[in-house]
Amino acid sequence: MDDQGCPRCKTTKYRNPSLKLMVNVCGHTLCENCVEMLFVRGSGNCVQCDTPLRKSNFRVQLFEDPTVDKEVEIRKKVLKIYNKRDFDFPSLREYNDYLELLEEIVYNLTNNIDVENTKLQMEQYQRENRDLIQKNKVKLTREQEELEELLLLEQQGNEQRRLELLQDEQRQLQAKRKNKQALLDELEQSQLPATILLAQHKVRAAKLETQIEQQKQAVKPTSLFSTGINMRQTVTLQLPPKIEEVLFQYKALQVETYGPPVPELEQLGRLGYLNHVRAAMPQDTAGGYSSALACHRAIQDAFSGLFPLKR
Amino acid sequence: MFHNSSQGKYWIFLNEDDVEQKRYKANQKSRNKILESGKPGVSESKLLERHEEDVLFRHYEKRMVDYCNAFKPAMPKSVVGTAIMYFKRFYLNNSIMDFLPPIIMLSCAYLSCKVDEFNVSSTQFVGNLLQETPAGQERVLEQILEYELLLIQQLKFHLVVHNPYRPMEGLLIDLKTRYPTLENPESLRKNADDFLTQAAMTDAGLLFPPSQIALTAILNSASRAGLSMESYLIECLRLKEDKDALSKMYDSMRRMKTLLKKYELPKAEEVIACKKKLERIHAEFSSLSNKRKRGYEEDGHVAKEPRLTEEEWTDEDLL
Repeated sequence: MDDQGCPRCKTTKYRNPSLKLMVNVCGHTLCENCVEMLFVRGSGNCVQCDTPLRKSNFRVQLFEDPTVDKEVEIRKKVLKIYNKRDFDFPSLREYNDYLELLEEIVYNLTNNIDVENTKLQMEQYQRENRDLIQKNKVKLTREQEELEELLLLEQQGNEQRRLELLQDEQRQLQAKRKNKQALLDELEQSQLPATILLAQHKVRAAKLETQIEQQKQAVKPTSLFSTGINMRQTVTLQLPPKIEEVLFQYKALQVETYGPPVPELEQLGRLGYLNHVRAAMPQDTAGGYSSALACHRAIQDAFSGLFPLKR
Repeated sequence: MFHNSSQGKYWIFLNEDDVEQKRYKANQKSRNKILESGKPGVSESKLLERHEEDVLFRHYEKRMVDYCNAFKPAMPKSVVGTAIMYFKRFYLNNSIMDFLPPIIMLSCAYLSCKVDEFNVSSTQFVGNLLQETPAGQERVLEQILEYELLLIQQLKFHLVVHNPYRPMEGLLIDLKTRYPTLENPESLRKNADDFLTQAAMTDAGLLFPPSQIALTAILNSASRAGLSMESYLIECLRLKEDKDALSKMYDSMRRMKTLLKKYELPKAEEVIACKKKLERIHAEFSSLSNKRKRGYEEDGHVAKEPRLTEEEWTDEDLL
């Protein structure tokens, strides 16, 4: 963060890491104090490039590289004029061409190439598409509003949760303190021996704990749906598009064995096959082996491919 | 299971002619390659004919089975069956002139032990080669490992082989449970076992599903004992619903029995003559086999120094 010093007072940035750097339209930075000092009269010249600047044009630097900040500012201004959306264009190709045009303009303005011509271009476009710009501005503001609503709601939700948490903690602490106090009082005043009192105290403390746990899990009648929308709020959001899918149909696997059907593994015992197979010893069954497995395998092998292949 | 295995999809052929055709093609390819290599002294008569290859093939198959039977610890039947199947499949697409059988046969057995989860260490495996000194066994092991990847590649990486032994057990269990007419199915077991061992040496594994081979074995053994099992086929296996299927089944069984009958071990003089021929071919045109051995080098990005020098292969070295 302090790889850059203020170009004027140089040292102050290192000494005071909380100091903010401000950027202007020419792309050069100045720390807050220097801005105050130099632009006390409202306007002056940039220290490095001598372009006439106004104090109001200084903004807090968000990016490490001041040129990025400069470009961001320029882009915002350009986009206020060139505010067409992707559905305003008949084909993707034209939309992409438009975007490329935009980028060229921003690039030119940022790097001070052909500034005059670019500005003329912008003014011409503005004159031609005045109504479209106006319409789009309105649309944009509506979307912004929705987003801001959502953000606001989220923030509110967070705040509420934080407050509740704090309150809960407070309550817990209070309860515990009361309990301790009660114990001390009892020890002072009551006639019963200390051990019994201690035991009672422990029971009470345990009960308190469970009570607190239950309170936490108690379902409060909420005023919110699970998606975060208030119960009485008019929904201004678009529903997501519903995608119709073909349902999955299960089809059992068909295997052609070219032979007579083999009885199931579980049926072998009942059908009497297992009488003719060597019984499984305890050592074998420990590993999960059963004589039915060997029998089934032998029968499968015997029947597989028995019928002549249909070529 | 067999019905959706690679064996069922890729390694079951329609009939004996199909199988014969493949072997013939492999033989032709190898002959053409040697003839075209333009080495001095090449002539058609010096190369192995198809029937001579057959003689050698059967001989080495028998040797492999003997080796597996003499194996310590005792090799389960399925491992032997798998090894034989690998041997057959390998020489379906390759000729004996390109790859010498003794090493391929040991590689097949070694691979089959691994695939079938019959755990023997490599030293234990070559320890069963009783004629060799430990150093000799080491050399054999190195050669086995060299050929192993090539073998797997020629098997198209289809390593699971379904043998008819478990289907036979399953059929016996089924007989005991659902066919009380037959009093003592256990008596059929021994003959059926022999049938299966013999069938493994024939091409039956390449033509029929293992369950059919097992069924033929049991039916054959029953008919030898004079018992009729037609009702079993019709009732329990529900073949009566499809008349066609029943007749086809009998047809297959007949073909299988013919295969078994046709099989005979080659005579000793034939074997010796063919072996001599093979050795001569190998000695004169050995450069070809040198290149083919290291299958993975054909990719181009693995370069391996030749670890071994080519040795004069004689059979007596091994068994």
